Amino acid sequence: MNEENRRIIIVLAGLCLCFIGLIGFMSYFQVFEAETIKTNSYNKRLWINEEKILRGSIMDRNGTVLAYSQENDGKIQRYYKYANLYSHIIGYSHRAYGKSGLELSYNNYLLDLSESSTIEELKNIVAPSTIGNDLVLTIDHGSQEKARTLLQGKKGALIALNPKSGEIYAMVSLPDFNVNSIDEEWAVISEDTNSPLLNRATQGLYPPGSVFKVITASAIINSPNVATNYTCEGSTNIDGYNFKDYSNTAHGELDLSGALTVSCNTYFTEKSLEIGHDRFRNMAQAFMFNNNIPFDLPVNTSVFPKGNLGDTDLAASGIGQGKVLTTPLNMALTAAAIANNGEVVKPILVSDVVSTNGKLVKSNKREVLSVAIDSLDANSIKEMMVAVVKSGTGRNASIKNVKVAGKTGTAENASGKSHAWFIGFAPADDPKIAVAVLLEEEGSTGGASAAPIARDFIIYGLNNIKF
Amino acid sequence: MFNNVSNKTPRNLLFIFEVLTLFLLLVNQWDNIEKTVYYIWIALILVIYISNYILNRISNGDNYIFLLVTMLMSIGIIMIYRIDSNLGFKQLLWFIVAIIAFYFTYFLMKYIRGWKNWGKLYIILSYILFLLTFLLGTRKYGAINWISIGGFSFQLAEITKLLLIFILASYYSKPDMFKDNKYSDYIVMAIVYSFIGLLFLQRDLGTAVIFFGIYAVIQFIYEGKRKNILYNIGLFAVGGTIGYALFDHVKIRVQTWINPWLYIDNKGYQITQSLFAIAEGGFFGSGIGLGYPEYIPLAYTDFIFSAICEEMGAFTGIGIIMLFMILVYRGLKIALNQNDKFFRILAIGVSTLFGIQSIIIIGGVIKVLPLTGITLPFVSYGGSSILSSFIALGILQISSEDMGFKEEEYSE
Repeated sequence: MNEENRRIIIVLAGLCLCFIGLIGFMSYFQVFEAETIKTNSYNKRLWINEEKILRGSIMDRNGTVLAYSQENDGKIQRYYKYANLYSHIIGYSHRAYGKSGLELSYNNYLLDLSESSTIEELKNIVAPSTIGNDLVLTIDHGSQEKARTLLQGKKGALIALNPKSGEIYAMVSLPDFNVNSIDEEWAVISEDTNSPLLNRATQGLYPPGSVFKVITASAIINSPNVATNYTCEGSTNIDGYNFKDYSNTAHGELDLSGALTVSCNTYFTEKSLEIGHDRFRNMAQAFMFNNNIPFDLPVNTSVFPKGNLGDTDLAASGIGQGKVLTTPLNMALTAAAIANNGEVVKPILVSDVVSTNGKLVKSNKREVLSVAIDSLDANSIKEMMVAVVKSGTGRNASIKNVKVAGKTGTAENASGKSHAWFIGFAPADDPKIAVAVLLEEEGSTGGASAAPIARDFIIYGLNNIKF
Repeated sequence: MFNNVSNKTPRNLLFIFEVLTLFLLLVNQWDNIEKTVYYIWIALILVIYISNYILNRISNGDNYIFLLVTMLMSIGIIMIYRIDSNLGFKQLLWFIVAIIAFYFTYFLMKYIRGWKNWGKLYIILSYILFLLTFLLGTRKYGAINWISIGGFSFQLAEITKLLLIFILASYYSKPDMFKDNKYSDYIVMAIVYSFIGLLFLQRDLGTAVIFFGIYAVIQFIYEGKRKNILYNIGLFAVGGTIGYALFDHVKIRVQTWINPWLYIDNKGYQITQSLFAIAEGGFFGSGIGLGYPEYIPLAYTDFIFSAICEEMGAFTGIGIIMLFMILVYRGLKIALNQNDKFFRILAIGVSTLFGIQSIIIIGGVIKVLPLTGITLPFVSYGGSSILSSFIALGILQISSEDMGFKEEEYSE
């Protein structure tokens, strides 16, 4: 081959290498970069639907409008009527900061972009709708306001639901934020060390403390080999670790009911060892620990320790300490399960999705997630919880003429101040409301600080909610 | 030379491709279809089919290159029509005009002799075209390289590109062009760099790089004094650095190439919108009519590749790259088989032109290279771009034929 032809072939090879390089980069780009690039908020394609479709309204169970969209001068705008109240439930839909809450999880319904079938998809392509679907929540707006007022100034969460149907009446997490001023305050909101963006009710993981004893008690009842009587001496040493009762009180001779009523730590630590790790863990898992709770908002999974567990850790689990972690939602469901004959129902936040012409697009039906204990045992625990409120640590939750069942908790935590808990339900004979109150790093007992909040909420709810 | 090659099968495959894509487009625009649309589409299919058929009859050269180009044209016209039906129709008209220009070039080159002797004429013509651009030029998309005649906008640099190839071909096939001057190689270099400098002043950076590329390639193959190649590269590097320091528009190109996300709502807007489109398309695309090319600036010209990737997928984009690769391969193969040195250099020049231009603009819109505003040959909208590309293709077509018979004819 002559020199000239050799050089032409070099040029050919060089150009071909460039082309192959382009092909290589195209493939690399699609595989590794495209996904991240697509989500950039400057990508107008993300907002096409927002610009064309009137996002649906969100209403509470009585039809009170909480959020809606309106067209002003050809531009669609989203309005949130209550700045802070629904920041963790409805969340926000913002061009620069994305979406959260139901605005995120029900986005496709709110914009009527259901992708249920190929035919639906084709319909969307051919004749896209211009008005989205409305959401009807199970929330009672009055109760939601009441709950926030009761928690005002504190850090924590309150969640209340119907123990039989799973409908959530109120769900408040504090601190919260103003969804209408995200633009101005985003930097402050997102960097605040108190994490106002976190929905503590469903995503905050806390040691449950003594409210967990409801589950321990269920495990004890369910273990035929475990004797229920015990003599409390105020403290007990398990594998080198000393478990003490509150103020070192020796409760003396106790049965299960008595132990729950006075919230005896030594009783439950000793009994945990008798139950055994496997059996105990199975009971906790029946109450949805280590299980994902299906919900309309993101939920963190409660933790009951698995694997090899020393006696100290197992004993600590019996009083809701050690490695046990839970969400207020999970504890509300635990109270609801006792109220509901041992059945854990699926929590529901959105009851119906209704199209603009009134057609029911989707509705969330009652669903039993797990049967934790049988109804006989559930009723026994219920009676014990009634005794807790009547004569035990939960006296602050008692209401005149209404039989309240409950359990208090004061959870120690590594950061210092203890969390105050209360879970319960009322009326005990025909439960209508189950509630969980958590006050983060409150520093006082659940009976002193959380129980009165639950009481006030239950009074309001029983008088005002249209069940 | 290539007359044993049949183009019947690819011609029929191309036919099927067109019918299918046009059908897709029709389904998408079902609601507002006018009767003229059918005529336009039938015209497109016929023009492509017939011109390929005729070429097979009259040229004994490489009949694949025209097929490759009609495939590119089909994708381009369909995309342009989908973005803007008026532009699509105009592009179809330009396509027909360009095919006529192709045949015109083909016959002109075939029956007129002495092309290699007019080197000085090409140089003078080039300067006249530059002068015209400066006198009559209007600023469009930041570059002063358009002139408007009778309502039509022309980019004269499109013609100068071809003249450059002719200048280099006649110089290297007949080095006695400046026989009275022993510094003839430096004179040629000076001329090419005056072109590049003028393009720089017009802010037409993409074309400047193409000029450099063509010159560097032909010089690499034919320059006897190998040192000159180093001078050329050195000069370009120095010129580029000075240009970067002096001109803001050069700086912006580099900045938005390194990190366009910093300037997403101003300087980096174009390139980021292009990347969004390609990312949204994925490998298979959103489907014709289901993407949003209206969000891509200049989707019908410089950024047509991004629009195609969004709706037809990265696989179609890769297909386009491969079509260009095959085109360049065929073009350089033509050069290897051509006995006449002048036509051999023309073939090299034209292949390099197609190759470099497509690499620069595709690399630009996918952010591999700094973005420079040039068209994707045969795909982008634009009369002067299509015309000059088809004239170049006509040159490549004639170069693929055996020039031997012409000499014989001449000697008779």
